[in-house]
Amino acid sequence: MRRELRAFSASTRLWLRYMAVDRFMLFCAFVQPFFIAVTVMYMLHHQPQFDPVYVVVGSALTGIWSVVLFDGSWAINSERFQGTLELLVGAPSSLYAVIAGKLAGGMAFSVTSMALSYAVGAWLFGYSIVVRDVPAFAVAFVLALIAIGALGVLIAPLGILARSVRQFLTVLEHPIYILGGFLFPVLLLPGWLLPISYALPPYWAAVALHGTSSGELSGVAFAEVCAVLLLSSLACFVLAAPLFRLVLRRARVEGTLSLT
Amino acid sequence: MPAITLDHVRRVFRTSTGVIRRKRKDVVALEDLSLEVGEGELFGLLGPNGAGKTTTVKILTTLLIPTAGRASVLGYDVVRDARQIRPRVGFVFGGERGLYYRVSGRDNLEYFAELYAVEPRRIRVRVDELLDLVGLRDRANERVEGYSRGMKQRLHLARMLLHDPAVLFLDEPTIGLDPIGARELREAVERLHAAGKTIVLTTHYMFEADALCDRIGVINEGKLVALGTPEELKRLVSDKSVVELEVYGVGEEHLARLRALDFVDSVAVERRELRELLRVQTALGERAVPRLMASLERLEVGRVSVREATLEDAYVRLVGKLE
Repeated sequence: MRRELRAFSASTRLWLRYMAVDRFMLFCAFVQPFFIAVTVMYMLHHQPQFDPVYVVVGSALTGIWSVVLFDGSWAINSERFQGTLELLVGAPSSLYAVIAGKLAGGMAFSVTSMALSYAVGAWLFGYSIVVRDVPAFAVAFVLALIAIGALGVLIAPLGILARSVRQFLTVLEHPIYILGGFLFPVLLLPGWLLPISYALPPYWAAVALHGTSSGELSGVAFAEVCAVLLLSSLACFVLAAPLFRLVLRRARVEGTLSLT
Repeated sequence: MPAITLDHVRRVFRTSTGVIRRKRKDVVALEDLSLEVGEGELFGLLGPNGAGKTTTVKILTTLLIPTAGRASVLGYDVVRDARQIRPRVGFVFGGERGLYYRVSGRDNLEYFAELYAVEPRRIRVRVDELLDLVGLRDRANERVEGYSRGMKQRLHLARMLLHDPAVLFLDEPTIGLDPIGARELREAVERLHAAGKTIVLTTHYMFEADALCDRIGVINEGKLVALGTPEELKRLVSDKSVVELEVYGVGEEHLARLRALDFVDSVAVERRELRELLRVQTALGERAVPRLMASLERLEVGRVSVREATLEDAYVRLVGKLE
């Protein structure tokens, strides 16, 4: 276990350094949330019930989700393309810990998009942005990150099982913005889409963050949302383990760990 | 107990062609390979491209599962006991890939030291030791993307040694290195051998295998075609001479005619820019030259020389062609 934690932590640190110079990830974490925050604030600022903290949280979620989705679906393949996958598989640490660490690095990096969205609202639009229930928001924030990260860990082996799966995953970026209720409440969507939203961990992450930042989620309802986030995280982590084993076994049988 | 055992190992890769009507095809990389490598031995694996050298190394480093047969390293089965093997072996594959280019050489080593569970207090010291060993200490904090090919190869060597493995696999480690870099790497391999490591080295360079290896296995088309010390392999051609003929525009019909001559043991062609170099192994020595020239009628022949056979000629005789 200690070995896996070291692999996780080392991968997080390495990936943080790596992302700091990766233009695509810089775009996902900063440029895209910036434009989303500016656009949504401009669109909604005349609405009487407009709450700028909703946009700050929502646009930050878009940044986090984009990084997790692209990082997750390409996590294994990118190692394969740069010739490091064989080294990771040939090392005693598990690939699961390495990929989870890599995603954690990506998420830590993308969290800064929330600060950027805050800056857009506070300085560009002059809003007073206030989180109403700070302790609950802090708890929700950690659980939301774990839940979205866990989904990324599940996506990682799925992304390498078949090219078609990876292509399907990469087109999920914007639909999840909508189905997750990042920027608009899902109640605006047709009723038949709601079950899909309820099955998605990013939706519950958005519920927790929006609810605690606005102060509308507390008590038992807050505990229930936290429980959903924890359970969905656990489910993703547990489901990912056999998938990683399957992917590795298949790659060793088919000889697809390297490009050559 | 041998450090490495391969027992009738077979490895087949399945490929497919076409888009709509996909056709599957099995490519046999290893037909039936059996051999043993002793503890502390430096074993050379020679063979042309596609012979199965890299496949063998990948099976022994647990990166590939054999289609049939059994392989073990330090008594551990490569399929069943992969987790026991991985901390005990180190490997380097030739070429520049396999590094994190956007971070420094030191970052790369520190990262892999963590993955190999090197004791945290020892990591910095170990990384510095290895950077000194491979001569990269001065450039350690620079991004790998600025390294030369030789520097990347040396960084790979340092990475392989981080956890002080008992068995080392070096797959064409000097490929693409300049002569000085290749010599330094060979010296490092000699030091590791002297330190008691078991080493499997694949290479295309006969002189490298001759100079370094205790024993050599030659594989061709997935089968072991010769096994012995460099001296034993040289003895295969000790009574032979090699006639080298520089020719222009040699064709398959000429080669077939040469191979049909009863005094010719093997014929190899090395294609150069505007000409070809024919290497003919024969027991006749200089006496073979007029008859060879007669067989190459109407073909322009340049320089002709006769020399004693070397390990490379033994290799050519065994695999029947040059790279």
